[in-house]
Amino acid sequence: MGRVIGVGAVIGVVALCLFGLWGAPPDDRQGEAMRLLYLHVPSAWLAYFAFLVTAIASALFLWPRTRSIVWDRVAGASAELGVIFTGLTLVVGSLWGRPIWGVWWAWDARLVTTAVLFFLYLGYLALRRVPGEPVASGKRNAIAALIAFVDVPIVHFSVEWWRTLHQKATVFNPELSARIEGVQALTLWIAVLAFTLVYVYLLDRRYRLAVIDDALAGQALARAIRTRTGGNPGETT
Amino acid sequence: MTSPTPRAQPRARYIVAALVCIGAVIAVVILAFALSGNVVYFRTVSEATQARDDDGRFRIAGAVVPGSVKTTDEGVAFEVTDGQETLSVIHKGDTPQLFEDGAPVVCEGKWGRGDAFASDRIMIKHGEDYTPPKVNAGERGA
Repeated sequence: MGRVIGVGAVIGVVALCLFGLWGAPPDDRQGEAMRLLYLHVPSAWLAYFAFLVTAIASALFLWPRTRSIVWDRVAGASAELGVIFTGLTLVVGSLWGRPIWGVWWAWDARLVTTAVLFFLYLGYLALRRVPGEPVASGKRNAIAALIAFVDVPIVHFSVEWWRTLHQKATVFNPELSARIEGVQALTLWIAVLAFTLVYVYLLDRRYRLAVIDDALAGQALARAIRTRTGGNPGETT
Repeated sequence: MTSPTPRAQPRARYIVAALVCIGAVIAVVILAFALSGNVVYFRTVSEATQARDDDGRFRIAGAVVPGSVKTTDEGVAFEVTDGQETLSVIHKGDTPQLFEDGAPVVCEGKWGRGDAFASDRIMIKHGEDYTPPKVNAGERGA
């Protein structure tokens, strides 16, 4: 299953390169710089989505009936990807801002709340590294993830609530009428699909890595206990 | 897996809870501080002209009045309008690539001598619409 998604992700990214660089026409006013939109917008959406997955998984961990280490791992893996996508959004947005706005950065509400989002989840990832008993640390991670998620709608609606240099939403605006059409819109959807497949693929990989990590930590602990209790340290379970 | 001594657990839990709360508070404070001066990123031309006694730095947004742009020794002089009021801007420094007649601009600076706004930074406020180039690329709408 992971392999199928991986192949799909590669095909999606290749299609995105073809459409993004050649298939889609440049923007009437922005020119070629507009092509950065095909990276910036899907990165931002996937950042939202990844943090939503983290929030849902965290809620499932907090709920006693569904509590499982699975949800804690999913939350952590998705948050890592969310941080990467948020970083990508900031970097690509900055590269776009320089030629179009004339500045790399502006202290407007959209940009500041996005930067806060990035650091909130970096903090969350740091918190996950704090050692502790699995259930207790899982709970505290989950609570932190739910608190951090509050910033996601603030980021999205910042352009509606406050006056910003950043433009309003092209697709998910309150009127829900896309301000982009034809091949440009198609390319944007290809980009979203490709990024989503990349996200799912990486989430699966990262989750497996977390399972291996936990198994290794368990083995190391068992070995340490055997050494202390006078058993043979080389012995495997 | 790891099970710390029962006595250490509640204390660790308090520390962690405190850390999470402190982090959340810091985030909210940073958000409030960072946004307080920037929640309104710019004033419209009308809002700006109504507050002429403001001697601080602020930003004005409007469209460049077509035909008003003149180059000066230090930059450009032009007029901006929000459809109701028009204001002259004397800008020191470079202009962004997309600066032209009719361009939506955000100028940063303060009130200068006379009625003019002394700007030292111009940004282009780009809209959310994307369109392919017109077939006759020579004729661009303002």
